[in-house]
Amino acid sequence: MTENLHLLMPELFLAILAVVVLVADLFLPDDRKIYLPWLAVLGLIGLIVLSLNLLWNTDLMLYGGLISLDNFSLFFKCVFLVLGIIVILASMDFVSRWLRSPGEYYSIVLFSILGMILMVEAQELLTAYIAIELMAFGFYVLVAFGRNNRKSNEAGLKYILVGAFSSAIFLYGLSLVYAYTAVTHFDAIEASLSSVLANTDQIGPSLWVGMALMLAGLGFKVAAVPFHMWAPDTYEGAPIPVTAFLSVGSKIASLAFMLRLFSEAFLPAIDQWQIIVAVISALTMTVGNVVAMVQSNYKRLLAYSSIGHVGFMLMGIAALSSIAIDGLLLYMIGYAVTTMAVFTALTAFFNMTGREDISDLGGLADTHSYFAAAIAVALFSLAGLPFFAGFTMKFYLFAAVGTEGFLWLAGLAIFNSFISLYYYLKMIREMYVKPTPDSVRLVMSQSGVSNGISKPTKLITCLSVVLTLSIIYLGVYPLHLLKAIQAATLSIW
Amino acid sequence: MITLVHFQIVSAALFSIGLYGVMARRSAILILMSIELMLNAVNINLVAVASFLDPDRFAGIIITIFVITVAAAEVGLALAIVLRLFRNRATINVDNMDLMKW
Repeated sequence: MTENLHLLMPELFLAILAVVVLVADLFLPDDRKIYLPWLAVLGLIGLIVLSLNLLWNTDLMLYGGLISLDNFSLFFKCVFLVLGIIVILASMDFVSRWLRSPGEYYSIVLFSILGMILMVEAQELLTAYIAIELMAFGFYVLVAFGRNNRKSNEAGLKYILVGAFSSAIFLYGLSLVYAYTAVTHFDAIEASLSSVLANTDQIGPSLWVGMALMLAGLGFKVAAVPFHMWAPDTYEGAPIPVTAFLSVGSKIASLAFMLRLFSEAFLPAIDQWQIIVAVISALTMTVGNVVAMVQSNYKRLLAYSSIGHVGFMLMGIAALSSIAIDGLLLYMIGYAVTTMAVFTALTAFFNMTGREDISDLGGLADTHSYFAAAIAVALFSLAGLPFFAGFTMKFYLFAAVGTEGFLWLAGLAIFNSFISLYYYLKMIREMYVKPTPDSVRLVMSQSGVSNGISKPTKLITCLSVVLTLSIIYLGVYPLHLLKAIQAATLSIW
Repeated sequence: MITLVHFQIVSAALFSIGLYGVMARRSAILILMSIELMLNAVNINLVAVASFLDPDRFAGIIITIFVITVAAAEVGLALAIVLRLFRNRATINVDNMDLMKW
């Protein structure tokens, strides 16, 4: 049992790092607390190097099949560690200006990342459940982190009530699947389902309900329609770097877990769930994109846009095949980079002004042309215009879904991409065509005075530039990423 | 003779009561209590299945222990948020949580 313990070193060190950051916060005087995020970032970089050296091309099941260390796990481990670095760097100014207790903030971010990593590695339902809760608990706290901000409190309450409710639904589904198969390992569930389906072509109603409830519980986590009601409120109320983390991290982790669950455990029953996932995906992309058109708060607009993107990504699960999984993974990475780029630039804008309305973005191209350009590039990428990551990812995924017999779904997705162009362009028009509102000009001119508002730092500007360049890089030359993705896909399909 | 089906019916009934409570109650605390009911329905189901169908590995009983623990942590976290909200707003009625709409 214990001989392979060293293979879990990245996870163990990540947990230790989170605790160290938390404890260091107690002992550092206030003017040295700026070292905490750098400690976390250095730790995460070390963990990436360690994981790549330790786990390159391993394919092992640890602890009697609880955790699998394969290329799929390694790929997502690196993705989440890099995401952690970006989120922590993007939060630094925000946290020191708007939030208290930085040590807790960074340590909870690290614990959430640990949860995401374990979620993707899990090969057994209980392990997966604990990992989901570890991630979700971190997010509950982070969303409510603006302690005296009423919106943040309200968002936290809505998120934790819906999150706990969805966990209960997921667990009831889990218990029904367990009642039907009497096993909890993914491969054992698959074997049990195939032996049932070998005799009859129908599965029992309790298994059907169990799978549907598990799908519903995960649907809440990824904010798929009709389980999306919490998402816009939570995204709007949460502190803005947390909104970014939530809309990238929790979605990618939940979708990667769903991919593993459906492609390993529930694969024999594909005829039963495939059409349901396809319909949920169609609803999600349509509702998300249509409702986004009428939003006036940019966090809320991006919340609906991210619901739309979840709809696109669910297509990859519906059309399960090796090219569809390739497309889905590419879409996840493109979406993560692009969304982080938008939110980094918007965090810088929020630090300058404290405003959250789209109309407040007016004239940003004149006052801060770097950030306006970064937001514009990222929004064009989300809309799927060529030369940006968004085009490559949409092209791969939609083409794969089309060839797997879901042509109607791919067509609907293309139509929805056109709709999304409308509201992205609305934001861009605001920045490039409209003049700066007087109130925003006033706030910007007062920067540095008592209200905690000041000019963007070099750090967040550099981060924004790097993310924007990587959007263009992924759009023009995604070959290296595609190789990594194909290796990841091979280990689950 | 009490069979597995009897346990599953009790569990389903308890789950439905909890589901109704989540939909119908307006106080955040009562919603949390209803969620606890749903989790206990899960526990009954898991323990019953473990002892009837899986007596050698009893995975269901292990899951139950984890569910109880996680549920306790979840309630602790939720109550902290409710407390914070009550200090700022002096209400925990979820109908009044309407700062953000559409």
